[in-house]
Amino acid sequence: MSSLAEYMSTDHKACDAAFALAEEAALDNHWEQAQTAFNAFSDNTGRHFRMEEEALFPAMLNAGGPAGPVQMMLMEHAQMNDLIEQMAVALANKNAKTYGGLSETLLIVMQQHNLKEEQILYPIADRVLAAERESLLTRLKAI
Amino acid sequence: MLSTEQAPPISVPLRFFAAAPLFLVLAALILLSSDTNPFTDSHSPAMLAVTHCITLGFIGMVMTGAIQQILPVVIGSPMPASRHVVWLTHLPLITGTLSLSFGFLLGKSELLNFAWMLLGFGFLIFIASSLISLYRAPAQNPTKTAIFFSIVALTATVSLGALLARGYATGMQLDYPQLAAIHISLGLGGWVLLLIIGVSYQVVPMFQLTPNYPKWLTTGLSPALFTALILLAASRLFDATMLSVIAKLLFVSLTACFALITLRLQNQRRRRVADATLSFFRLGMISLLLAILCELIAAFRPEPFKTLSVVIFIMGFVLSVIHGMLYKIVPFLVWFHLFRGGIKKGVPNMKEIIPEIWMWRHLWLHIATLLATLLTCIWNAAIHLAAFGLALEGLLLCFSLYTGIAVYRRTLNALHEHA
Repeated sequence: MSSLAEYMSTDHKACDAAFALAEEAALDNHWEQAQTAFNAFSDNTGRHFRMEEEALFPAMLNAGGPAGPVQMMLMEHAQMNDLIEQMAVALANKNAKTYGGLSETLLIVMQQHNLKEEQILYPIADRVLAAERESLLTRLKAI
Repeated sequence: MLSTEQAPPISVPLRFFAAAPLFLVLAALILLSSDTNPFTDSHSPAMLAVTHCITLGFIGMVMTGAIQQILPVVIGSPMPASRHVVWLTHLPLITGTLSLSFGFLLGKSELLNFAWMLLGFGFLIFIASSLISLYRAPAQNPTKTAIFFSIVALTATVSLGALLARGYATGMQLDYPQLAAIHISLGLGGWVLLLIIGVSYQVVPMFQLTPNYPKWLTTGLSPALFTALILLAASRLFDATMLSVIAKLLFVSLTACFALITLRLQNQRRRRVADATLSFFRLGMISLLLAILCELIAAFRPEPFKTLSVVIFIMGFVLSVIHGMLYKIVPFLVWFHLFRGGIKKGVPNMKEIIPEIWMWRHLWLHIATLLATLLTCIWNAAIHLAAFGLALEGLLLCFSLYTGIAVYRRTLNALHEHA
């Protein structure tokens, strides 16, 4: 069975793939394709946030994990959600320029967020949640 | 590892970035007024002034500012007494570079003496606080190692530079060509290249969604490059030809490895959209390969290839990469500092901070300037074209950065009014 870090990091990459497709299609004015890829990205990201907010983070806090970094991650989720909402509007308006600008911004926010999780938070999760890792992974996969 | 919560105020990096392009303009003005050519006399007083405007005034200024952002954010360890360090590095760097350049240009030993003391002081503060920050940093990572070696190389570069400037001012007996060669190779191959390598480990995968650099490279490259530079310096001091050949080959192959792997990673990027900053970065890597090629040819035919290698390294590699980084980082810094602490309406996105069209125009201008500079090798009059291009580049970068700063100020005021 994989570690929490491996499972969650792989999920980041899946979000990245849909993100890149949506951006490319929108900038080429292929709106239907862009919408499909954006929906996939937005669904993947929404699910990833729920895995963290509903299962992983509460479990970490219960097990005595650090509250500060978790709080920081939650704030960044809110920032990213705000950008994703703005991107949905740009997409509905078929505004490639605005979409491109928002997408460029989200990319950096998202990547630095992912790095922090992958290098700091997930390894902590694997440490403090070693005993309940398997049951937690099952719960994460069900979300 | 990125700790954006530890980010210094936006004014810390921006004051360095905003001052830097003015030195490109100054370099261009000196070039235009003095009629000097790097390929006929790379060590003429005017050429020394031009070179130091570009390397110290532009490259050094941007890199000193960038490290004060990178250490807290990427390495997770703030600079000690950061507010004082900002002033004590920014002002000496500006005044020291001006006084060094005019000292060379006008042949005034007072200015040169003033310059090495100012620059020595500013860099001493900068080096000491960077080393303390690195020492206190919680975790090990390859970027931290590369920055450490970069700072060590800077220490040697500055010490030698101060010695040379003092010698130049007082007429002291020194082996100038030998010491200058070590000063240049540690400055460009050590301080500048190692920092770019360390930062690339972080930003290349992040900005274009490329795979990560291979682990063997990130672990081994910066210590190996630093070792090659030390061997090279030793071979020069002890006049050991065989050692010099080995050290140079080691340096050249390691550097080529970095450039080729970076280009390959960028080819594998998942983000396929056109991006001026990516083009700047790739131009930089291709130039790095060309500079290496010239360095190899110089073993058989020293001139013009030796000069060509240094010119391509500075103008093609370093300037391209720095422009690419600034055009990505500055819009992000502005956005980040406006948006931090919560959701706010009315914050412009990154492409509304510095218009993308100006980045593309700058890329073409930079390519033209680079070609004009290379043309100088065979056609003396091209130096005017190169200088004109460099001046325009400085002005365009100023315009772009000041546009970004203006957007920051305007939005901040509007946000305060709404609050």
